[in-house]
Amino acid sequence: MKLAGIKNLMQKILLLIKKFKSGDWLVMLLFISLIFFITKYYWEFPQGQYLKIEKNNEIIGTYSLNQKNTFIIDSLMGTSEIIIDNNRARFSKSPCKKQYCIHQGWIKKINQTIICLPNQISISVIGNKEQFDSINY
Amino acid sequence: MSFNKIIVSLFFCLIYGCSYDPIYQKKHYIFGTLVDIKIYGEKEETAKNISNEIIEELNRLHQLLHPWNPGIINDINQAIANDKSIYINNNEIINIIHDASTLENNTKGIFNPAIGKLVNLWGFHSETLPTKLPSKEAINSLVTLKPSMNNISIKNNILKSRNNSVQIDLGGYGKGYALDQIKNILSVNDIPNALINIGGNILALGKRGSKTWVVAIQNPREPGVIAKIPLKPGWSIGTSGDYQKYLIDDEIRYSHLINPFTGLPSQGTQSAIVLTPPSVNSGTLSDVYSKPLFIAHKNKKFIVAKSLGLNYFLIIMEDNSIIISKDMMNEISWYQEPDAKNIITN
Repeated sequence: MKLAGIKNLMQKILLLIKKFKSGDWLVMLLFISLIFFITKYYWEFPQGQYLKIEKNNEIIGTYSLNQKNTFIIDSLMGTSEIIIDNNRARFSKSPCKKQYCIHQGWIKKINQTIICLPNQISISVIGNKEQFDSINY
Repeated sequence: MSFNKIIVSLFFCLIYGCSYDPIYQKKHYIFGTLVDIKIYGEKEETAKNISNEIIEELNRLHQLLHPWNPGIINDINQAIANDKSIYINNNEIINIIHDASTLENNTKGIFNPAIGKLVNLWGFHSETLPTKLPSKEAINSLVTLKPSMNNISIKNNILKSRNNSVQIDLGGYGKGYALDQIKNILSVNDIPNALINIGGNILALGKRGSKTWVVAIQNPREPGVIAKIPLKPGWSIGTSGDYQKYLIDDEIRYSHLINPFTGLPSQGTQSAIVLTPPSVNSGTLSDVYSKPLFIAHKNKKFIVAKSLGLNYFLIIMEDNSIIISKDMMNEISWYQEPDAKNIITN
């Protein structure tokens, strides 16, 4: 019964699409691209300034992304290696089996995070926008 | 409200409401430096008008207090150099001179706004950085004349100095004084929440909504910041550093902060940061009191801080050691934790 209802609906939609003229397609395309750009504009986070490394919910440190550096962190399963290079960061070695954290590749935008659950290490990019309001010099 | 309406309002909240932070910001090159004004929770038009008023006031103070451009300070200095008395038709300047004299006494002469001749001899009365060291003889001859704000007397608006080597230079006082003047403008206009940064000297008024204003501390040797600290309502922060105005000769760095007793720029310190609690002259004190902490010898910094009643300070030394008060230590958060063996605390 339910399946028939859906089939009915699909047929109705198909009929409707057949009635579409080029102007209708244009309007639809316009709306789809509008939604696409709005989403992209509001959900795209800017480039981050710092990388926060956490081990078992404890902050190990916050490091500037503007450097070339390798961090070696010992945790539950063994040593994980994190590299910062060219304003981005990634896991480069991990003792975990699935290696999800390494496959995620580079992160550089604010709020991007990679978590290695087995080894309980997470890295996240943060900006300095929320960090302070002014600089004393 | 229908379900659709709720969805629509949630959508608009996502786009506008949640990203809305009622903060007005204006940056301006003025007062010979960068001024950053942040006003929280006011209508944009109100905030804009107040910022313009602040900028006008800073323009006025820049002319009034300028150490070497033509103006009232320059007139006074010329009269003193020529052993003449001068009539001053400006009570603000008279108050400032009295105040500067009191602060010189409070700091036992380490903050001395009467050594304009020494500052000029070192080449710091210029928009560009100096490149040449002055001669030892020239320095010593100025030091032995012992210029002091106490040499100046003002009676019935007539200023006289019994020492013609006095040359007033309010360089270490002006930014802090300007912060206190701006505080008055904001309070007269009923603006409770603002953060004003004049060339690194910052005054916090109220809060940023529910959060305390937070300021970061500049790394004196590299671009970037080393730590951050909350600046509570009414507090000010001031810094004296050797990294903006300095002279490098034969790979030695000479800061613009000259010890009045030796005539030489203080060495061994990279920067001294001071936080001062709310008071009528909190801004001035944060600016002025960072100087003695910078200039004092490494072993005497805690004693000097105690004599000035400072509880919140941080001093970064050339040898990488960090002299920090207990109260400051409790509130600071480091971006890169310094080595525990380098930290000296009371």
